[in-house]
Amino acid sequence: MGRRSFLPSFISYRFFLLFALLILSGCSVTHKKVNLLSQSLNTNSPEAVLTQIQTLKPEERDRPLFNLNIGTLQFLSQDYPAAITSLTLAKDEMAILFATSFSENIGAATVNETMRSYSGTPSDLVMVHNILALSYLFNDDPDAACVEILQADIMMKKLIKKDSNSGQLASAHVISAIIYELLDEQDNAFISYKFAAELMQARGAPLTDDIKLSLTRLSKELGVLDQFDQYKTEFAISDEQINELTAANNSNLYFIHFDSVVTSKKEVSIMVPSYHDNRNDQLVRIAMPSYPNVARSIGSADIDVGEQDIRTTEIESVDVLAREDLDAEYPAILLATTARAVIKYDAVKNAEKKDPLAGFLMNVATVLSESADVRSWNMLPASIQYAYVSTNEENVSIRARKLAKRKIELTAGSKHVILTSSISDKLFHYQQDKSIY
Amino acid sequence: MKCSKLVALTLSSVLILGGCGTTVERVDADTAVDLSGAWNDTDSQLTARTMVEDALSRPWFKKHMQATGKAPTVIVGKIKNLSHEHINTQTFIADIERELINSGDVEFVADATARKEIREERGDQDLNATEETRSEMGKEIGADYMMQGKINTIIDVDGTDQVRFYQVDLELISMKDNRKVWIGQQKIKKLVENSKMRK
Repeated sequence: MGRRSFLPSFISYRFFLLFALLILSGCSVTHKKVNLLSQSLNTNSPEAVLTQIQTLKPEERDRPLFNLNIGTLQFLSQDYPAAITSLTLAKDEMAILFATSFSENIGAATVNETMRSYSGTPSDLVMVHNILALSYLFNDDPDAACVEILQADIMMKKLIKKDSNSGQLASAHVISAIIYELLDEQDNAFISYKFAAELMQARGAPLTDDIKLSLTRLSKELGVLDQFDQYKTEFAISDEQINELTAANNSNLYFIHFDSVVTSKKEVSIMVPSYHDNRNDQLVRIAMPSYPNVARSIGSADIDVGEQDIRTTEIESVDVLAREDLDAEYPAILLATTARAVIKYDAVKNAEKKDPLAGFLMNVATVLSESADVRSWNMLPASIQYAYVSTNEENVSIRARKLAKRKIELTAGSKHVILTSSISDKLFHYQQDKSIY
Repeated sequence: MKCSKLVALTLSSVLILGGCGTTVERVDADTAVDLSGAWNDTDSQLTARTMVEDALSRPWFKKHMQATGKAPTVIVGKIKNLSHEHINTQTFIADIERELINSGDVEFVADATARKEIREERGDQDLNATEETRSEMGKEIGADYMMQGKINTIIDVDGTDQVRFYQVDLELISMKDNRKVWIGQQKIKKLVENSKMRK
């Protein structure tokens, strides 16, 4: 009892308890609501989920995440100007939050991890450019889309690490390649496909036929004949296949498909009594974020091209990226959680020495305030898929899970970007304006 | 006891920082203010001024005057943004137009969008305005030269530091025969060091 009071006299233990309960209970409820809304996307339309999420009032520190989720839903609802506004806000906020915050770190070390502002995982920092590039493109602004892919490239260079692929997205390189092809910059497109292929191989993912064909056809178009021969042999592609793909009047379709919804984080916690001097001293709670194992079947979208039925194949598993990001962060989270448990334990002990009731209240506050950071950009697809079609047919038909068969008319030599999502009944279509390029 | 101080510090930080608000200070439009290192109004104005001064001091101008006996008429066309940033090229075009007009050395004609609107108005005058006040069709001045260009960037990044290199290329093309009579280039290099810490 002789020890100095550790809190200023005007802040009582009861005040701390009230503060912790008021501030923290609201946060975790919002995060859980967002996670539930994300999972409801499998049955509800993006428009319906958007309406629901817009009623939530996020904390200032969750604002970037809120804008990421809102922006994605606006994109899926084809409200491109709104998506661009929300995602640009999120991008700018995350850029500011890239620096480490002193006060938030103290908050995280003493209360819980959600005291930090959501500054985005390495994958988020790149993915935001992906969705922005697509938003600009479908809003008929390929130049602005190009700016986003250039920014994605800068961000990936910024995040590059010697022994990790953290923040390196094959999908970002494929989207870059598509946009370069629309801008008739085949040399840059070729490099982007190469980066995508390298990343897919580094992650142990199979190289899709569409990427193989793109590499081979572009190496031929650019006259890089040694690489062309190498790809033909390595990928077992015949001259007939390549000649068919590169026929002058063929229409080109770059088809992206978003499948399912990325898994949300869950909290895993344990609460144990601490024994000191052979008596039940206090309760210690530890909470960590984790991704549950979800058994899901990933679908695809189909394109009917004449007699052929072409399917999209996965170029990136966003689920895998999310888990990689959490794995990379895990040692730091574990260290912070352990340190926080020690700090909280000591705080309860000190309060108890002053007044047993204060100790009890402080213990309640420390237990209740301990929660894992389960925030994540969870309106994203679980799988990003791609297919490339070069055809002399006059039309193609597209089908996806919620999308009834839709026909697209093709004019000779035209270039199209098409996107479908398994959670939407909309077809996203951009046709290159040849008068510009 | 150290831990207890941390708790107190946290609470104080949260309460103090919660009270931080937005402040606005008016600054002179000519003041250079660099916040993020991105292309800004100062870059746009300085580049426009430097490049127009350069364009008007080159031989094509003298040759045109000698050949025609009158000031050249110029129009600004498209300036393509090929950079890593979303740059509003319309404000840059407006800066170039202002510098060209204010130089007094060249005649300047309205761009395609403005011309369309003016022609509509002239058509309306044809029907509704008195003969004395009416502006006739077919009296427009055609431009002798069109200025076009592009903005490119090269960005080198290492952690929180960046070197941003901007290159603005402008060219003046003769409308009569597609000759390029002037090519100008302006380079801007910025070192951006972002803080590793924030409050």
